[in-house]
Amino acid sequence: MNPIVVGSLESSDCLITLTPHPSRKIAIESIVYDAYHDAIHAVIMSLLDDYNLQRVHVLCQDKGALEYTIKARLKTAILRFKEVHHES
Amino acid sequence: MKIYRSLDDLFESLPVVNGLSISFHHHLRNGDGVQNLILKKMNELNITKLKLYPSAIFPVHTEMLKLLQKGAIDAITTNYLNGSVAEYIAEHGLPNQLKMQTHGGRSRAIIEGETIIDIAFIAAPIVDEEGNAAGHDGPSACGSLGYAIEDSVYAKHTILITDHLVKKLEQPQIFSQHVEAILVVDSLGDRQGIVSGTTAITKDPVGLRIAANAAQLMDELGLIKEGMNFQSGAGGISLKVTEHLKNTLKARKLKAGFFSGGITQSHVNMLEDNLVNDLYDVQCFDLHAIQSLKKNPHHHAISAHDYANPANPKRVIKDLDVVILGATEIDLDFNVNVTTDSYNTIIGGSGGHSDTATDSRVSIIVTPLFKARTPIIKERVNTITTLGKNIDCLVTERGIAINPKRTDLLAKLSNTHLPIYTIETLLNKAYEYTGVPQSYDLKAQKIGVVEDRDGTIIDTLHTKKRR
Amino acid sequence: MSRSFLFIPGDVPRMIQQLEIFGADAIILDLEDSVSMTQKDEARHLVESFLRKHHYQNPLIYIRVNPIDSEEYTYDISTLQNLRIHGIVLPKASLKGIEKVAKDLPQCKIIALMETPEAFLEIAAIAKHKRVEGLLLGAEDLAQALNLERTEKSDEILYVRSQVVLTAKAFKKIAIDTPYTNLTSNEGLLEDAQKARQLGFDAKASIHPNHIDTIHQAFSPTKENIKRAKRIVAYAETHHTMRFSLDGKMVDKPIIEHAKAILDAAKRYRLD
Repeated sequence: MNPIVVGSLESSDCLITLTPHPSRKIAIESIVYDAYHDAIHAVIMSLLDDYNLQRVHVLCQDKGALEYTIKARLKTAILRFKEVHHES
Repeated sequence: MKIYRSLDDLFESLPVVNGLSISFHHHLRNGDGVQNLILKKMNELNITKLKLYPSAIFPVHTEMLKLLQKGAIDAITTNYLNGSVAEYIAEHGLPNQLKMQTHGGRSRAIIEGETIIDIAFIAAPIVDEEGNAAGHDGPSACGSLGYAIEDSVYAKHTILITDHLVKKLEQPQIFSQHVEAILVVDSLGDRQGIVSGTTAITKDPVGLRIAANAAQLMDELGLIKEGMNFQSGAGGISLKVTEHLKNTLKARKLKAGFFSGGITQSHVNMLEDNLVNDLYDVQCFDLHAIQSLKKNPHHHAISAHDYANPANPKRVIKDLDVVILGATEIDLDFNVNVTTDSYNTIIGGSGGHSDTATDSRVSIIVTPLFKARTPIIKERVNTITTLGKNIDCLVTERGIAINPKRTDLLAKLSNTHLPIYTIETLLNKAYEYTGVPQSYDLKAQKIGVVEDRDGTIIDTLHTKKRR
Repeated sequence: MSRSFLFIPGDVPRMIQQLEIFGADAIILDLEDSVSMTQKDEARHLVESFLRKHHYQNPLIYIRVNPIDSEEYTYDISTLQNLRIHGIVLPKASLKGIEKVAKDLPQCKIIALMETPEAFLEIAAIAKHKRVEGLLLGAEDLAQALNLERTEKSDEILYVRSQVVLTAKAFKKIAIDTPYTNLTSNEGLLEDAQKARQLGFDAKASIHPNHIDTIHQAFSPTKENIKRAKRIVAYAETHHTMRFSLDGKMVDKPIIEHAKAILDAAKRYRLD
């Protein structure tokens, strides 16, 4: 199954890749890892909770995206993922 | 004058021993083949415990890297470094230490005898048979040789290396009385890298907003006036500020006094348009500057001592009205870092940053408020390059902060439409977008020091931070 | 009143997050033409997420939605329901479209993008609609529909430009000129903007941030106009009169009102 990919690797953006996975798993690669890792992790967790999505692997490749961008990219990815996998 | 055609013959005449102190200049920038030539020879001769005093180090300097890897270099004192040498030092440090000086401070230390150079190897684009040298002509022309002058006078042995030997040279910058020998080589380096090409005026909307704010700030502070003395770097934003200045001078029929420091086409055009009296050129950044230096009597090649030695009461920068400078980080006390990033990667150094900020009546930092998610204002900079007491204004695209000790500037701006805030407010504006960064404590060992122009140690340097 | 309306693609974070520094009086976040069909949802979510976090008084924020007959329009509208924005820019405007947006988004002002020949047949009805705030000429799409070649001098759009100005003014709405699409010629931009100003436009749209200063140069009151307006208003106030002569020219109520409007604009644009 093809993964869901949203966003870009341009500066101030991030690329979110969602793949089906037995349990929720989050991987973060970021140019601001040390300064914002916790914040990025928290925003991803909270949005997955909002959409009640458990069985997914999230890869966030971050080029210094502000929080609103990470949220938006992930939201698009989640909605597309749910459409493809009829996941609830 | 002894003229050598072979490097081996030259080296036989020199006291090349372990623990030797040698110096180079960086006017050939990333096209420099001379430092590589000399250090390769040192490597072949297995010389160790070298002390190096290059005025700057660039990515092209790979022979230095080989010596570092061998452990043959004991200590390095320089003004600016990037590339693989910088990466190596930030990773491993040196047996002794890395000392970062300013351009003015380097000159002072040499003249006052703090820095003792055994041999100065000076790349010289044009040399005559008597041993006079300059940089404005020849196949490797680089313009001014400003940063090599004190080396030539005070080193125990001064060697010129050239690819262009002539009978007689008019208006030399380096004089035969200080020179011991000349080495003639095929080429001083890579032409492309010597003249790094034209530096482009920024077209980025954020950069343009910053430049417009800076230009308006200069105007409202009453700095744009007949006879004003100005310095700006070759960065895209600085060049745009210079363009604004040009337009204002033109519109008001004013003429500036001098521009100093690194000279670019922008500065030369203004000299030719009769918008400024003189250029004091310690370093040419492009071909236009080199050609102008050659032909225009109001374009003066000056030494680092003339330019910025703090012990020289006649130094040019003491009369600066305004200097435009960049910052990698700036903190709530206005301390500026252009030496390292937040992880101790060495990305540059003072050059003339601290010198000009200290002397100029007004110093203006131009920088975006944040780059991607990284706020440029920090609570504390990672490395102090220039002390906050010498920084007067911070100009960003979202607002301007004035150092609170400059109550005179704040008073002049009391009725302004400019977006003036405290630096704390500006930091909070950045946080509205980026969020507050989490604190992280990464391990690092001391590898060197930052020395201000008067010799005071103002900060320490460390190895790259590790998780 | 805004002098400049800057289009920003809805899918580019590094542009969106800088919108306050471009100097434009109004920003149009675009979900339509600058966003590819496969990225409509990305753009919508990005704009939504940004506007939930950041609020601006200045510049005014507009969103260009997709045309009412597209599937995307429905998604656009549901996303915009709870966002604080100043208005909507409706592409391929028609009276039917205006009425639909007015019903779907009961709070929002609407700028009608005049870019089809049909729209010009009902231009008065569109301008008259109480939710319509202004008319924006979309010359590129219109030229295509009319099989016109666009030229630097823009003589070919003189008629539609004048029609937009005349109709907008008849209903006291804002008249906004089409963007200048040559990104390299600043002189051409200034000439084009000055021509629009002469024709009676209040503002000009733009597709590049670096155009804004030049547009403002053309659409701001001049120093001389501000000076004269100040004298007119001061005379009227000190002498308690609405009819007098200044520098040999007759001044009456409409001229005093106009002078006040100039001073308001000068104040808002910080030209005083």
